[in-house]
Amino acid sequence: MKDSLWQAVLGEIELTVSRASFITWFKNTELLTNKDGVLVVGVPTVFVKNQLERKFNELIVDTLKKNGIEPTKVEYKIHTKGKSTLHKRPREETVMVVAPQQQTEAKPKSSSSVRHSYRQGLNEKYTFENFIVGSGNELAYAACQAIASAPGTRYNPLFLYGGVGIGKTHLIQAVGNAILAKDPKAHVVYISSEQFVQEFLDAIRYKKNTDFAGFYRSADVLIVDDMQFIAGKEKTQEEFFHTFNALHQANKQIIISSDKPPKDIPTLEERLRSRFNWGMSIDMQIPDFETRCAIIQTKATTHGITLDPGVVEYLANHVQTNIRELEGALNQLLAFCEMRGLQPDIQITTSLLGSSKVRPKHINAKQIIEKTAKHYAVSVEDIMGPKRDKDIVVPRQIAMFMLRSELHLSFPKIARELGRKDHTTAIHSVEKIAKESALDADMRTAISEIKDRLYA
Amino acid sequence: MKLQVTQENLNKALSSVARIANTRGTLPILANVVLRTVGTRLTIAATNLDIAITHYIGSKVSEEGSITVPARLMQDFVNSLPSGVIELKLDDYKLHITTDQYNSVINGVSAEEFPVMPAISEGKTWNIPAKVFKKGLQQVLVAASNDEARPVLTGLYIHTSGDKLYIASTDSYRLAEKEIMPLKEDISLLVPASSMQELLRVVGDQETDIEIIHDDQQVLFKVGEVELMTRLIDGTYPDYKKLIPTEFAVTATLKRADFVNITKVSSLFAKESAGSVTIHVNPDTKSVSIRSVASQLGENTAQAEAEVTAEGSITLNSRYLLDALGTLNSDTVMLCFNGKLEPCVLKEAKATDYIHVIMPLKS
Repeated sequence: MKDSLWQAVLGEIELTVSRASFITWFKNTELLTNKDGVLVVGVPTVFVKNQLERKFNELIVDTLKKNGIEPTKVEYKIHTKGKSTLHKRPREETVMVVAPQQQTEAKPKSSSSVRHSYRQGLNEKYTFENFIVGSGNELAYAACQAIASAPGTRYNPLFLYGGVGIGKTHLIQAVGNAILAKDPKAHVVYISSEQFVQEFLDAIRYKKNTDFAGFYRSADVLIVDDMQFIAGKEKTQEEFFHTFNALHQANKQIIISSDKPPKDIPTLEERLRSRFNWGMSIDMQIPDFETRCAIIQTKATTHGITLDPGVVEYLANHVQTNIRELEGALNQLLAFCEMRGLQPDIQITTSLLGSSKVRPKHINAKQIIEKTAKHYAVSVEDIMGPKRDKDIVVPRQIAMFMLRSELHLSFPKIARELGRKDHTTAIHSVEKIAKESALDADMRTAISEIKDRLYA
Repeated sequence: MKLQVTQENLNKALSSVARIANTRGTLPILANVVLRTVGTRLTIAATNLDIAITHYIGSKVSEEGSITVPARLMQDFVNSLPSGVIELKLDDYKLHITTDQYNSVINGVSAEEFPVMPAISEGKTWNIPAKVFKKGLQQVLVAASNDEARPVLTGLYIHTSGDKLYIASTDSYRLAEKEIMPLKEDISLLVPASSMQELLRVVGDQETDIEIIHDDQQVLFKVGEVELMTRLIDGTYPDYKKLIPTEFAVTATLKRADFVNITKVSSLFAKESAGSVTIHVNPDTKSVSIRSVASQLGENTAQAEAEVTAEGSITLNSRYLLDALGTLNSDTVMLCFNGKLEPCVLKEAKATDYIHVIMPLKS
């Protein structure tokens, strides 16, 4: 109540005074008490107190009146709330310490108006309990559970990567929530790298004596989402590097998620890259069909609806790559049915979401070769031809693999489709790609992208 | 506003005040200085919202008034004027500055726009000789931290204990404490070290008393014509006294100049190891030797004569050691320590009012 009133007042004042004035004088103020018409406003410094008392008192009183409060008096009191929560760290008690041999020189100073609480950013709805484990994410799930039970001791740092909407954020938030559930005083910081960049910029800009570096370095668990956005921002990377080192040396847990593995993030500093690879990097895979079905059923159950197996299957087939879209489709269906008081069945689902993307039967060998060639930007002639350069051999082998996996052609037929006489080449190629794609994430991505092109 | 001042006075005031006016902050007006007549005097003031400096100068005021002008421009301009009388005249926010040879106009901003300068209405007042305080500050400032993550350690702790006034500072790797003078007051102030750097500049070579007035939030230092107001740091200073050892297994007494020299030489070989040098105290050869090793470059051992009580060695950061030696004023100094991982103390051979503690490095 107090907070929302003061926020409303600040919102209005922000429009009347200049931006510089607002940042200098009104930021970090708060309403402490509101009793019998006497309002006490907490301010960070004596300068702000003076300024508000002598120059802005009238404006504040007027704005309060507009918001339906008739103050008899507004008092200003110096109050350091951010500090008291941020600096009550046990380490203040150990005043002098024996320095390690490689004592770092004066730490790079950075500061900003970072004043948020440690659990900011964590959404309590993300827990381990409602995370559906499937073949694509069981390793990540196990690692995260291990971390939650003993942060900082194993898999530090943990680097999760994978495409959009496959549950990275869910998992890393679940770790944060699980740690907080066990120890509510733990300093769990969850932040997206973009937010980190923004706060770092503010810190540089305002040169305020606050606690950007201190805040992050005092975390027990630092969770950074979408690390790829830090790419190309050199100074931020440097600051993050120092934060990373400080935390890692103190055995604090670091969890990072990204859409690519560290080596594929362009313009990521080498030293950060190598550090990200230090603990454990896990590739999160697109959930398989069964997992998708399980996810749909769980989500439907939380809405109190039991879905027909046919509908579940249809949905799982309809959206194959992205859990967020899967949820979207399910929500669309449930909302549609709820509004009309219908029970979701396969007819409604089909009409609502459009015809199922059952694989068209008309795919032929020629299309596979064409799409593969296109994906690798080589010509069909080259693939069919005799050249044995590496950048042609790989697409050729993938094409053979796909002819086998998608059309189930015989090896002699595959050889013929590609203008080869010897079917053993085809056997070798299919086996080689099958083996490599099991080990190589890039290869898997390439194959699934070619499939996307085929069935699009 | 219309008045006459001498170039010398105005220049001196501007040079002490304009420094803290800064152009990088959020509020553009903080890059200005305020000129304001108070009775027969002119005040020149600036602030960066942590610290505020007001300088009073005598002048012949014929019309009262006030204005703010860009600090840098005003300072550079007045500095290049020849000495003699300057006339300042305000005409609709334009400050006309006239001498025999020069005639210029600086566009100002109303003093109403400037933040209200803080004042102390009720507070405790006491005095201290400027020279004594300055010496004390110079000795402890070096050990204050500049890590904003621990605000308490960025301050100097000015306090009384047992009817004596002390200043202390620590950055958690080293600690300095100076006993200033006997004082029967109950004082406990945590003043930002950066503000005290500024105070040192303001004090200069003055030999007057400094008047100190403070309440819970701020402290005002009055030095002659200048008033420096700074905020106090909120927080409790650590109980540092219990960290200062009083008994030592090893004590070496040697010439300060020798000690500085051998430390400097050794530090050249200690860059790789973050300044780490090992001091060995030997009663047989009556010497203190410092050894440093740089795996790539080579190594060094430097030795100096000393009076030694027992044998021992300790590894320190050479930069901290040099800083500490720089704060000692006597010709002979004492190095005292116990175990390899226990705090090491440097002090002047005869005086007992200053003590500098350095934590060893793990070797």
